[in-house]
Amino acid sequence: MEGLLEDPAQDIKRLQRCINDLISLLALPAMWSSDQPSQIVHILLDALLRMLSLDFTYARLKDCVAIVPIEILRIADSCKLKVTPQEIGGMVSNWFEGDGQKPLPSMRDRFRDKEFSRLPVPLGVHGEIGMIVAGSGRADFPRQTESLLLSVAANQASTAMREARLLSEQKRIANELDQRVAERASALGQANEELRKEIDERKKIEERLRESEAALQRAFNEIKKSEAKLRQVIDTIPTLAWCNLPDGPNEFLNKGWHEYTGLSPEESHGWGWQVAFHPEDLPPLMKRWQELLVSGEPGEIEARLRHYDGVYRWFLIRAEPLRDDAGKIVRWYGTSTDIEDRKRAEEALKASEREFGLIINTIPAMAWSARPDGYAEFFNQHYLAYVGLPLEQLQGSGWTVAVHPDDLDAVAGTWQSIMASGKPGEGEARLRRFDGEYRWFLFRANPMLDESGNILKWYGTNTDIDDRKRAEEQLWRSEAFLAAGQNLSRIGSFSWKAATDEITWSEQLYRIYQFEIGVPVTLELIRTRVHREDLTLLEKMIEQARNGRNDFEWQYRLMMPDQSIKYLHAVAHATRDQDGQLQYIAAVQDVTARRMSEEALGKARSELAKVARVTSLGVLTASIAHEINQPLSGIITNAGTCLRMLSADPPNVEGARETARRTIRDGNRASDVITRLRTLYSKKDPQPELMDLNEAAQEVTSLSLSELQRNRVILRQEFAEDLPPVRGDRIQLQQVMLNLLRNASDAMSAVDDRPRELVIRTERDDGDRVRLSVKDAGVGFPPQASDKLFEAFYTTKTDGMGIGLSISRSIIEAHHGRLWATPNDGPGATFSFAIPCRLEGWASGGTGVNRSDPATNAA
Amino acid sequence: MDALYGVEHYFVMEFHQRSIATERPLLSVVDDDESVRESLPDLLREFGFAARAFSSAEEFLASDSVGQTKCLILDVAMPGMTGLDLQQELRRRGQRVPVIFITALKDEAIREQALQQGAVSFLYKPFSDTALLEALNAAVQVN
Repeated sequence: MEGLLEDPAQDIKRLQRCINDLISLLALPAMWSSDQPSQIVHILLDALLRMLSLDFTYARLKDCVAIVPIEILRIADSCKLKVTPQEIGGMVSNWFEGDGQKPLPSMRDRFRDKEFSRLPVPLGVHGEIGMIVAGSGRADFPRQTESLLLSVAANQASTAMREARLLSEQKRIANELDQRVAERASALGQANEELRKEIDERKKIEERLRESEAALQRAFNEIKKSEAKLRQVIDTIPTLAWCNLPDGPNEFLNKGWHEYTGLSPEESHGWGWQVAFHPEDLPPLMKRWQELLVSGEPGEIEARLRHYDGVYRWFLIRAEPLRDDAGKIVRWYGTSTDIEDRKRAEEALKASEREFGLIINTIPAMAWSARPDGYAEFFNQHYLAYVGLPLEQLQGSGWTVAVHPDDLDAVAGTWQSIMASGKPGEGEARLRRFDGEYRWFLFRANPMLDESGNILKWYGTNTDIDDRKRAEEQLWRSEAFLAAGQNLSRIGSFSWKAATDEITWSEQLYRIYQFEIGVPVTLELIRTRVHREDLTLLEKMIEQARNGRNDFEWQYRLMMPDQSIKYLHAVAHATRDQDGQLQYIAAVQDVTARRMSEEALGKARSELAKVARVTSLGVLTASIAHEINQPLSGIITNAGTCLRMLSADPPNVEGARETARRTIRDGNRASDVITRLRTLYSKKDPQPELMDLNEAAQEVTSLSLSELQRNRVILRQEFAEDLPPVRGDRIQLQQVMLNLLRNASDAMSAVDDRPRELVIRTERDDGDRVRLSVKDAGVGFPPQASDKLFEAFYTTKTDGMGIGLSISRSIIEAHHGRLWATPNDGPGATFSFAIPCRLEGWASGGTGVNRSDPATNAA
Repeated sequence: MDALYGVEHYFVMEFHQRSIATERPLLSVVDDDESVRESLPDLLREFGFAARAFSSAEEFLASDSVGQTKCLILDVAMPGMTGLDLQQELRRRGQRVPVIFITALKDEAIREQALQQGAVSFLYKPFSDTALLEALNAAVQVN
């Protein structure tokens, strides 16, 4: 420590300065205007630094708030110390650890190559505020006065800081308080607000409550009104209504009830109403009433109620329970409805139903009824008896079991469409009889409608149409056959009403005429087709028809659009139709093909005849050669003989004369043969001419004589003398005769035990015909082969072609004749042909042949 | 003709010489044709033969000429027994008679058959008398 008396003037200055400093220090608080401790410290440290000419001043504050103490460091400008507060802090840290009771010593140590003296000064009584450290490089630091100054400064500072703290505390508290108040105020405000809102709500609710109360009141009034109305209604409705208590007795009866029964409310209240019921009906009524009370279920019963005038009428009593929310019955409500009329009507209905049922089961028809939806309800007795099934089995759709399986779908479909259309309808199907047999029935259904046209029920009958159906089927079949037959045979048919000219054609006739099927047919139309040349014939026919001729047959031609010609053959028959009108039924056949083939056949036949002639010519060639060679040979031989005779010595003149005579005779013979042959085998075409059959036969026999003789056939000719001339082809007929002769001769070629007799005979045959027969005594033939003989290629000869007889037959048939064979009584057979004297209808134009009128003869 | 006559004459003379002691040789003609039966025997007689005519093979067989005939002139086509049948019959009987066939029908098969069965000749009508004479010579040669 420095001594006080070193320099009294300096000391006085120092003390003055010290007092000044003290005064300054004491004036410091005026500068500490804020409440920030750090600012106070800053000012303090600056002041100290100046005042004491320190090198640095450091302060450390224990802030109540912050965990890290505040450290402030002021370094004098003259001191070139670069140091942080923290470093200073670190230096003096050990000081802080004390409790601050003891005064802290100063220290001097080196720091950054300089020696410093540091004096810590606590802030606060016990250093609770912090600490100040003054540092100086002066060696005499700190002097007493400096320490004193420091302490005073520290005290000042502490006080100021304490005050500041207090102030800040105060402020803080005040702030807090303010805040709290503010919060509280706002909270209060909010609560206030809410309260206000609640109050508003309440007010509104109250408002509404008032309103609903008013409404309720109004409603109540309304109810009261409608109750009154209801009462009025209940009393007005024309039904008897009542209300009973849950245990049974009556509470209320409406006006109608009273008026009807004539009982007063007092009389009928409770159980009094019972007297109004018919004594017979009361027990069951009561029993039922008890049942309802017990069961709690709605119910009804019929009973007679007495009118005030004593007459009982039937009523339907209906009761319904009224339950509360808990389900307990609080009341029974009911109506009693006058059903007397209905009951009467019901009985009448029952009676009429019985009667109806009787009728429906008696009428001789099968009847049924069904609901609008098709559910079958009723089948009468006949129906049940027919199908042999009970009603229950048929109801609904059970009746279908009796329908034939093949018809079932159709019937069901028809029934559906009838029901859908709502109109009467019918269908056909087979129904099975009790014995299993199916018969055809016609089902007819009729709807029964109410006034608005709705269907109440379907009624129907089934009619047995089995016979008709079978007849229909047969008819259909026969019509089909007819049509097919007509088509096949190219026959069409037509009917013609003479009076009205109404003409009906079959399909085939349309085809024949080549008109479109179905086109109405008139005489005009027909005329367009008939061949020009046959038109007059047609007119003649029509006229005769109108005049009532019975039967027609005629042939005519059509000229088709393509210019081809059709030959038609028509047969008509007059009948009377249902109305008694004259009607012609006719069949028309297209004979074009036949005519063509006939012509072709005719041509072929003559060709064949030619061929046959040629063939038999070949066969005959041998015999021709034979025929001629014989006389030739005779000639030559005789001539030779003649020469020799004349050359003899002496000449045999007589003999020569004889041979010459023979020569001439033989020459004639040969010539004869040739002539005959020429006649027979001339190349002329067959021409029908009037000829004498005997003559022709004679020629043939003459020609065949030698051959027959060679075969030892004895020929006998029996020609009728009065044989009329026939029209025919001479050559062809002679061909036939030749064939027959040859056959007869061949048939006897093996006969030795009897004469080979051949008889050729001509005679008149009945019906204006001429017959020629060739009878032999040959091998004959079995009777059943009589037709087979004439078949082509049938022959018993080993070298025969078998065409002779078939050609012969066709020749004869072309002459409109007949060729046949019969076995003889004795051995052999007789071949005969008969041809008409005159031939008819050969012309290819239209010639009418009237069968019923022999006087008419068209040729 | 003269030359021919000469040849014929020679043959006839031969026959005469041979048969001076005997009658003329018998020739039989069998034909169903009348003109043949008329004309042929005369010609044969002119040749210097005796001739008999028959209308059928059966007639011939039934006659006594069967053994006597030196040569048979035979038609083929006849009713009943034909010429060929007769030929066969004679062979069956062992009658060795030369046969000359005459016929109007030209049938090769029959001709063949006839020749095979030993016929001397087969002539077609009409035939010349010379042809017949040649055939007769052939028949005689055989004899």
